[in-house]
Parts: sequence; structure tokens; C-alpha cells
Amino acid sequence: MSEMKKTAITLNVNNETHDIIAYPNKTLLEALRDDLRLTGTKESCGEGVCGSCTVLLDGAPVRSCLTLAVAVQGKKITTIEGLRVGEKLHPVQEAFVNHHAIQCGFCSPGMILTAYALLKENPTPTETEIRRAISGNICRCTGYAKIVEAIKSLAEEGK
Amino acid sequence: MRLPPFQFLEPTNVEEALSMMNARKETLKIMAGGTDLLNRMRFRLIEPAFVMNIGKLRDVDGIDIGENETVIGTNTKLKDIARSPLINNKFRAIAEAAFEAASPAVTNMATIGGNILQDTRCLYYNQSGMVLNGLERCHKRGGTICLAVKGGKRCFSVCQSDMAPALIAFDAKCVLQKKGSTRTVALTELFTGNGVTPFAIGADELLTKIIIPQPKNGVGSAYRKLRLRGSVDYPLASAAAFVSVTKDGEVNACRVVLGSAGASPRVIDGRSCETHLESIAQKAYDSAEGIDNLQMPGAYRRKMAGVLAKRAIKAAMDRLKEGM
Amino acid sequence: MEKFSYIGKDMKRIDTASKSTGEALFAADLALPRMLVGKILRSPHAHARIVAIDASRAEKLPGVKAVLTARDTCGDKWGVFKYTQDQQFLPTEKVRYVGEEVAAVAAVDEDTALEALSLIDVAYEPLPAVFTIEDALSPGAPQLHDVYPNNINIHVHINVGDVEKGFAGSHLVREDTFAAPEDSYFQGEPYAVAAQFDHAGNLEIWMPNAGPHLKSKPLSNVLKIPLNKVRVRKITIGGAFGGRSEISPADVICAFLAKKTQRPVKIVYTREENTVCTRQAHSMIARIKTGVDREGRVVARDITCHMDGGAYSSTGPIATSVPFLCMEQAYRMENVRYNGYRVLTNKPIRGMFRTHGRAFACGVDIQLDRLGEALGIDPLTMRLRNARQTGDTTPTKSYVASCGLTETIEKTAKRSRWAEKFGKLPPYHGIGIGCNSVQTGFPMGIRGGSQAFIKLNEDGGVTVITGIVDNGQGNDHMIVQIAAEELGLTPDDIQLITADTEVTPSDPGSYSMCETFIGGNAVRLAAQDVKKKLFRIVAEEFGVGEEDLSAKNRKIFVTKNPEQSISITKAVRMALTRNESISGEGSYWPNVDWKREWVKNPYGQLSETFSFGTVICEVKVDPETGQVEVLEVTASQDVGYALNPKVIEGQFEGGVAMGGQGGMLTEYLQWHEGRVLTPTQLGYLVPLAIDMPKINDIIVETIDPKGPYGAKEAGMSVAMSAAQAYCGAISNAVGIYFHEYPITPDKILKAIEEKKKGDRKE
Ligand SMILES: Cc1cc2nc3c(=O)[nH]c(=O)nc-3n(C[C@@H](O)[C@@H](O)[C@H](O)COP(=O)(O)OP(=O)(O)OC[C@H]3O[C@@H](n4cnc5c(N)ncnc54)[C@H](O)[C@@H]3O)c2cc1C
Ligand code: FES
Ligand code: FES
Repeated sequence: MSEMKKTAITLNVNNETHDIIAYPNKTLLEALRDDLRLTGTKESCGEGVCGSCTVLLDGAPVRSCLTLAVAVQGKKITTIEGLRVGEKLHPVQEAFVNHHAIQCGFCSPGMILTAYALLKENPTPTETEIRRAISGNICRCTGYAKIVEAIKSLAEEGK
Repeated sequence: MRLPPFQFLEPTNVEEALSMMNARKETLKIMAGGTDLLNRMRFRLIEPAFVMNIGKLRDVDGIDIGENETVIGTNTKLKDIARSPLINNKFRAIAEAAFEAASPAVTNMATIGGNILQDTRCLYYNQSGMVLNGLERCHKRGGTICLAVKGGKRCFSVCQSDMAPALIAFDAKCVLQKKGSTRTVALTELFTGNGVTPFAIGADELLTKIIIPQPKNGVGSAYRKLRLRGSVDYPLASAAAFVSVTKDGEVNACRVVLGSAGASPRVIDGRSCETHLESIAQKAYDSAEGIDNLQMPGAYRRKMAGVLAKRAIKAAMDRLKEGM
Repeated sequence: MEKFSYIGKDMKRIDTASKSTGEALFAADLALPRMLVGKILRSPHAHARIVAIDASRAEKLPGVKAVLTARDTCGDKWGVFKYTQDQQFLPTEKVRYVGEEVAAVAAVDEDTALEALSLIDVAYEPLPAVFTIEDALSPGAPQLHDVYPNNINIHVHINVGDVEKGFAGSHLVREDTFAAPEDSYFQGEPYAVAAQFDHAGNLEIWMPNAGPHLKSKPLSNVLKIPLNKVRVRKITIGGAFGGRSEISPADVICAFLAKKTQRPVKIVYTREENTVCTRQAHSMIARIKTGVDREGRVVARDITCHMDGGAYSSTGPIATSVPFLCMEQAYRMENVRYNGYRVLTNKPIRGMFRTHGRAFACGVDIQLDRLGEALGIDPLTMRLRNARQTGDTTPTKSYVASCGLTETIEKTAKRSRWAEKFGKLPPYHGIGIGCNSVQTGFPMGIRGGSQAFIKLNEDGGVTVITGIVDNGQGNDHMIVQIAAEELGLTPDDIQLITADTEVTPSDPGSYSMCETFIGGNAVRLAAQDVKKKLFRIVAEEFGVGEEDLSAKNRKIFVTKNPEQSISITKAVRMALTRNESISGEGSYWPNVDWKREWVKNPYGQLSETFSFGTVICEVKVDPETGQVEVLEVTASQDVGYALNPKVIEGQFEGGVAMGGQGGMLTEYLQWHEGRVLTPTQLGYLVPLAIDMPKINDIIVETIDPKGPYGAKEAGMSVAMSAAQAYCGAISNAVGIYFHEYPITPDKILKAIEEKKKGDRKE
């Protein structure tokens, strides 16, 4: 521990710049949750499987539990807190609420960001494309049916 | 789970990286996407003093398709390989392997170099202290026993890379650089077959590129992978097949490379242009190691090596016929 | 005018918007000023005597604020029942499983806490351990506890009618054995707990729970402070599925650390800890003998089930009973004997799980299929002939007030086109059916009933105060729906204070599927109480009878003449100026037999009502790899009445994923000498979106006479019958009946090979 030095880390999160002082072994997930108090990003597995910790890095969904905070300086980080526009929910969030795609809600932030990134890249995904895109996001509650419906509803709008 | 402490290095060019490696040798670990490295660190299987992020290196990212060979930079993401129309066209098995690896979000991070050089795995090794504390140390943890095979004199951990078998099927080579020298070796030579130290690469050597020779004439290839869920999971068994023909349409090479069959990919080279499916399945079965150290019983995984080998060859032959 | 404004409607849940933005706080998200990180030292041995614990080195580490050992917790023992008090929060004499709590620390950060753990020296004297039911029962086996001879923790014995005579009179009798290893809850949220004490010695504590009152009492006991000083607070909960109902050693440890340091402490479990150190589901071996008459009606049944309970009792008496009770509810059986044994082993502790034993439920159903096949009767008919009916009494003497099982079977069969498919599918295609039933609550002593309060604001808005807990299934919304409906308000007018032991009254908790039935009834009664008070005032004002009034759209009006109305706001203001109380109270005490006891007296009304479900599943098997592709699933349940149909569908779909897709295909724990080798999400395979088949949901309503608006319970019987349907479908596809679960590809391939060789004839 003595050899490890704290460094200043500058993170651009949801279009805000944050400076933190941390040891390099801090993951992006820890930096977001513990330093920036952005606790919408969740940890469920801590090993890259479940997608609860998903954030967007320059628009692409990545696992913040397998990302070092020091290594993403200069990149644009989007968390679930950054999706909503003012008082209104983002349409993806709204679709999840309207279609009962949320039960306990633990997987929801990661799932919503993954869906958001998918729709950005492909506004009219097929059901198979949707299912594949969210396959790195584990939900224990819903059986995914309503999540797929929610995303599909937006895909149809995208047509 | 917390990562152990380390010092962080971030070179911006290859030369700088090589110097850092040269100065620190074994105490330094390279991080590309980090998806394999950080998980092993989290379990405290390794606790390097230095972690060097190669994510910022220029010139080792991207796919360059030339006339005689295709060069893929080590930092190229699996997602980009899976999506590349040219890779899909010319090296179908490689694109399929990248498409099937892990889950979509992981392939946004995972690099091809890291995929090849990811450590071998075992149910009795890739564990947190919850499992390992109080257990006798196995070969891979510096001990003298194997927990998976009673009385096992060596380590039976498994190479579960999806990319390695597919690349080897195309006879890929790789470029290894260290301070002051560069060597190019066949990918097969990178693997030692020894579960404890699975790679023949120096602590000061950086993998920079993967080179795939351009096959002549017609080629068909395919990659088949077995896992219990439709995404995320590592292969329990896998097979990459490569079939090529002469100008006259005669099969002149037929190769199956097995993944998750031992500490290194296993090559079944049908020099005699053997395409008889059952005999390939048998050879695959004979070649695969079926150890009870992954999710499904070893005996089952071994059988599946045969089935997948057959299926991959069949798909490759079909594609060859379709002119793909 | 429509009968209901909100009940029975597809409504957006009130809690999900905040979950979609990251605003909803789970226990691990809490940060309090000066908060410390708590970490637990766990046993590396499956069975060992604790010789000595030396924490002096850890205590000296800078940044460590407290080290906790059994000395601090005084070796107090805990148990759900008086006769099962066998688990110490921190063991004093020995550890009984790998992962058991041994000591704990609180430190300024996680790295320091982890380092401190490594500095605690524990001297163990390893003892021989037992890891299987067989070993635990064998003569001379190492004993886990002095009080449970032969490692038998619980024996539930039920004997109804004359079983031997029944077998003698049966046309056909079969006896089979079914087995399955442990499954795991795998809640999305890993367990976490945060606690703090104030200057007056009040404890505030947050953790995922299936009932705050189930947590506060043991905390009050062990901390030796009265209940009014234990404030289990509401927090968003990331799933329970039958777990998280009991006190966890982590709760107690966290509270003690907070007390010792006089600072807030938070303990967040790793995924591994959540899998190993909370609860697991029992592994079991069920021997089932069934005799039927010529028409396939069950005449006699004798079941002996051995369940591996792990190291401690937990909810053992309940868990040992429920697998049987579900089946005796679902199917008629007159002469029946049940011997359930919960056996102790040096493995982690097992609790109640949503699917209550795959080996048991699938065993009963698969055996029914086998008996039917021998008689030339198809599985559907076998179920129709044995299905429970309204007005029946179960063998253990529960009256069934409403039962739509037959309707669920018929509708599911129609939707899945059973008649066109069964026996007519191409090779390696199969279709299967499963039926099941669950309770809506158990006799639970003084905590068996629920109470609710409603407070009115001067503008007519209300706050509902109830102990009902929402684990993610949507209970909070259910409360709002009921209150809004009864009071004629909109959901926006309703605020909730729930699941907080300082404020909210007694409630049984959500783990026995009773929240809608019992808690929902209490809320409804409280709302009716308020309404009555308001009606009295308005009736006087209008010069009509109270019974002539209705409430809707924030108005109270004369039912026959809606023009004559007054806003609820106004009515409230009138009440206030008259100094009349308008807060409401409701209490619901289910009509169950309080003399019924799990072991001593397993007879009498168990639960006031029961839900019933049927699932049909169609699969395709790859004969070379043994892999299963699920083509379509149709799920149906008699829910009494669907308060919010989309919520119910969500429960069905989640149930199919957990019970069927996961439970029958991929989910199980793998072991090495009492160590879980698959504690992570890479090891324990929870189904993914890409794996899930198309699911058709069918809601059947029987309008239970006592349920709120006729509602009972949503989704539990689907989770179980999905397992049975998957099992039947795979067996049907392969032409071999499977007796060991989950049915992984290696097992399927082996069965196919043996069948080809002729080794296995079915
Ligand atoms: C949830 C999950 C599922 C997965 N499933 C699969 C799967 O299905 N199939 C599969 O193949 N893999 C799977 N993986 C493993 C995954 O880590 C690899 O697929 C990934 O490609 C590794 O790349 P990386 O860039 O992240 O490697 P890193 O973790 O950065 O590196 C891996 C190793 O290679 C070394 N290394 C990396 N680059 C170089 C270099 N240029 N020179 C020298 N050494 C280098 C590192 O030091 C390290 O030891 C999975 C991983 C996760 C987390
Ligand atoms: S917590 Fe990062 S993927 Fe699960
Ligand atoms: S809603 Fe609970 S895990 Fe997805």
C-alpha cells in the first residue's frame, strides 16, 4: 500500500468535470459511487457479467467494475443520472416505466443505458437484436419479456 | 470486490511501453481491455506492483487488410472484429469467434491481444478467497497438487479463448516486440501447453500485431462454440474449422482447431485433406482433454469437442461450396 | 360507470420512475456522515473448533475503529422458533460451514478493513465434516449440534387416511426417487446493511428484508434494547424470492459495530458472500410412491423427503413442510403419508425459496405422467382428474375457498394447443405440463396479522402507513391502488410510509405470499374506516344515509344522483372544523388455525386461501449435444383477482425464468468439500434475455371470497409449475423421464445414448 500513490483523476461525467484524488486501484464504479455519489450505477457481480454497473464511455456501454478510473480520463462518461432531461424522464426510461420493465429495479439503470446505446446505434432493432444487445445484462425479476417489449416500443417509434 | 494496490503506468507509444516493461519485467502486468486481468487481480490471484495500460498506444489498433496478409492490431476490440465486413467476408470463423465471445458489452472493451493472452482457467483456480482460503495450493497457485484431478502431477487449467482457435485455423502469426528487438512467430508457438505458464512470451515482450496470411484460392471457415447460455459465457468446448481448395477445386488443407480442450488450442491438421466428418470428430475427441474443471463434466465436454469439430467442418465445407 | 377506477387496471407502478433514474436508494447506496466500512472474517473450514481468536494486531492497525468477536455478542443464539435456536451470531465454540462469520471489523475504508481482517489470528482445530445427506445420516457420522441426534434437524410427519390400504386397493403403484442439488436466490442486489446509533441509544438500520418486523425483534433481543429503540427503516430492495426474511448475522454485526464505534457502519456483501453466506435453497432427495385407480386418480401417496439444510435450522420447519403442502393443495390425495427430514451438513444455511424444491414438485408431476402413460392416459387428463376443486379440504385440513386450477389447466392447454401437439410432435420435440399451488400466509403467531393507518391532509390527500414491504414485486403500488380506489382519490393523492418499524404497525412480511391478501385487506379496511368517517359528515350535510354515498374522482357524491357531490378536500375541512377524527385504522387477521404447528400439529387451516397455477412448455432437444431450445411457454394462474394485470404478468414471466428456464436447465451449485465452486454470476447461470422463450400469460380469476377485491397471490405457483412443465417437456422430447434436476445437456445426452443402446427402457 505504501508504494501506491494517490493521484488526481479528472473525470467527465454527464457533461460535468469532476476531480478526485484516489489510488489507481479505484475502479470507475467505485469512483462514481463513492466519490461522486452517483449511486445509480450498481454493483451486482463485480466481474463483468451482469451489466448492473454499465455506463457509457464515449457512447458505448462498458462495465465500470472492470474499468480503472485513472484510465478513462478525457473520455465522456454517461451514467443513468445523466439520461434524464430536466424534470422529464428520457423516452427510454419512460418506456421502461410504462411497460412494467422494472420490478426490483436493481438491474434497471444498466439495462436502460444498454437499451439507450442500442437505440442510438440502431433505431429499429429486431427482437433478436434487442435480446442479444441486452444479454450482458442480467435481470433476476422480470424474465425480460417486458424489458424487450419496452425497447421494442421505441424501436417501432424509430421506424 | 476491491482490487489490490498497484502503481499505474500509461505509455503513449510503443517505445515508451517497451522501456517501461524492460525496466520492470515480471513486476509489471499489461492491461489492454482489462477484462481478464482485473478479474484475476480482484481475486488476488495476481498482485502486480505495476499495471501498464496500453489503451493509449497508437498504431496497435485497427484492421489492415492487405493483399497477402491482414494485420490486426493487438488493441483492436472484439466488437470491431465481429462487425468488420471484410473479416466477415474473408475470415468468417474469426468474425464468428469474436461475435460469440463474452457478451456485447464486454466485447466493447475486450481486445484481440488480451483475448489470446488471457490466462488459462479452472473452477479450482478462478475463485475468490471464499473458496481458496483454507484450500491447499494447486500447481497454478505455486503448490504441488491438482484439485481437479486427484494425484494430478501437472496443471490442467484450460485455455478458453474464443479467438485463438479461430486465428490458428487461419495459420495466424503474431508480432512480439521488446526493447531493441522484434520477432514474428506462429500463434501456435505462443502457447506452451503448460497450464501454470501457458504462454511463451517474455515479461518484457509486447504483443503488437496479429498477422493472418491471405489464403489462396477458395476457403471456407466456421467457428462453433458450446455454452449453456446464449451469451456471456466462456466456451465449454469449441472448434474452428478451415478448409481450402486448389485452383481445381481440390481440398488441399483441412484444419480443425479446438478451444477449451486443454491449456492450449489443439490443432487437428488434416494434411491428407481429410474431410470425413466422423473421423474428424473422433480425432477431436481423442485430442481434447476432458477434465472436470469447468462447468460441465469433462467427459461431456470431450464428446462435444467431437460434435463441434464435425459441425464446424461441415459449415466450412458448405460455405466453401457457396463460395464464401 | 365502471365499477373500479384503479383496481384491475394496467397501471404504471408508482415506484418505478425513481428506479429508472438511479434515484431509488438501495442499502449499499447509503452514505452517512462519518460512516465506516464493515467487513466480516469468515471461516475457511467446514467444521472446526475455535481454539482462540487474537485480534490485537488488527486493533492496532491505523484506521481500524472496532473489532468484533463473539465476546461482544455474548454468544447469543437465534432461531425462528423456540425449538430451533441454534445459530450464534458469532460462534463461540465451533464453525460449521465455510463462510460462517467469525469476527468483524469497522475501519475508515475498505482497504484498511480488508487488511485488518488478515491480521486477525484465529486458531482452529479442524473437525471431520459431512457434506451429503447420506454421510450426515450414516452411523458414526460427525455431529453438527448436540441437540440434533443423527444430524436430523427437523422431522415433519403427516399421516392422513390409510395409506397401506390405499396402495392395496390401487390399480397401479409406482415408486421413484428424485433428486436435485442446491439452487440459489441470486437476487440482483447483493446483501448490504447500514446501521447507526444515536445519543439516546436508538438503532437505525437499513437492509433488504422481507419484513422489517422479522428483523427488529431479534435485534432487540440480542442488543438487549426495547423494540421501540430498533428502527428498521424502509429501503429499496433488490429482490428476495423467499430469502432475506430472517435476521442475518450481518445485521447484528453491523449494529454492534455501530454501537461500539458510535459511528454509522455499512457492510456490503460481495456476490460470493451473497451466494454463500445469506441463504441457499435446499438440495433434496424425494422418494415418492403413488397408487392410482384405473382412471388415474390418486388413491394413496407416500413421500419421504430428505433435505440438506446446511449447518443451522433457519426456517427449517417451514421449508421442510412447504414442498409437500404445495402439492397436497394442488392435487387431491386422500390417503397420504409424508415424512420430511431436514438433515444438517457442514454446508451453508438453507432457507425458503420461491420454487420450494425441484425434486419434490417435478417428482410428483413426472410420476403422474409415468402412471398416466402406463394407463394410456395423457398428462393433461391425469391433471384434470386429480386437480383440487373449490370447496375441497386438503389432507392436512385446510378448506379451499376458491380454486381455479381446472380452469388454468384447460385454458393453458387450449392456448398452447396441447391436443394437437402431445404425442404428435416430431422426434426430439416435446411438450409438458405442470401444476402447483401456494399459500397466502401461514399461522405466524402474534405477527400473523397486518394493521394499517391512514392519515388525511387538509387538502384531502392521504398518507398510508403500513408494515407491508416491497421486495420488487410491486407491493407499494398495490397499497396505493387499494387506497385510491377505496377513498375515491387518485394515486397522486396517496403517499406511503411503509416497512419502517418505528412508524408502521405489525405485518407478517412479504415472504409467505401474504402481502396482498393480509396486508392488502388491512389497507382496504383502513381506507374504509376513513371513508366511513367522511361519509358520516357528508351524509349529515346532504341529509342522506351514509350507505347512499360513493367516493370517486376526489369527490363524495350521492350514488343515485352524482350531481349532488362535495369534494373530498371540503369534506376533510368540514371534519377538521368539527374536531372530528378522520384518520383511519384497519386490521386484518387471517382466518387460520392458530393451533396448527409445523412439527407438533401439522393439521388445521394453514392459510386462508391458496393460488393455483399451470404451465405448459414446448421444447426441442439437440440430440447430438443434449441442449434444449425452449420454443414456447404458456403460464397461467388463478390469482383470485388481478389488481394490476401487467404486474401479474411480470411475476409469471419472472417465475418462468427462475423456475423453468433457470431451475430446470442451468441453475445449480457445484461443490468441493463444502465450498461453493459456482458462487459468481459466471458460475451460477441465471437465464439471459437471449435464452428466454416466448411466454404467453393467462390470468384466471376466481374472486376469492375473502381476498381484497377477490385477490390472492401472483406468480408463485407459476414459478413452481414452470419447473414441472419444463421437466415434462424435456422428458417427452427425449422419451426418457428425468429424475435428477436440473436437466443439463450432459444428462440429456447420456439418456439419449442409453436409450439408443437399449440400456434404459422407459
Ligand atoms: C463476463 C466475461 C465473459 C467472458 N467470456 C469470454 C468468452 O466467451 N470467450 C473468450 O474468449 N473470452 C471471454 N472472456 C475473457 C475476456 O477477458 C477476453 O475475451 C478479452 O478479450 C480479453 O481482452 P482484454 O483486452 O480485456 O484483456 P486484458 O485483461 O487486458 O489482458 C489479458 C491478458 O493478456 C495480457 N495482454 C493483453 N494485451 C497484451 C499485449 N499486447 N501484449 C502482451 N500481453 C498482453 C495481459 O497482461 C493479461 O494477462 C470473458 C470475460 C468476461 C469478463
Ligand atoms: S457489476 Fe459490473 S458487470 Fe456486474
Ligand atoms: S428488476 Fe430486479 S433484477 Fe431486474
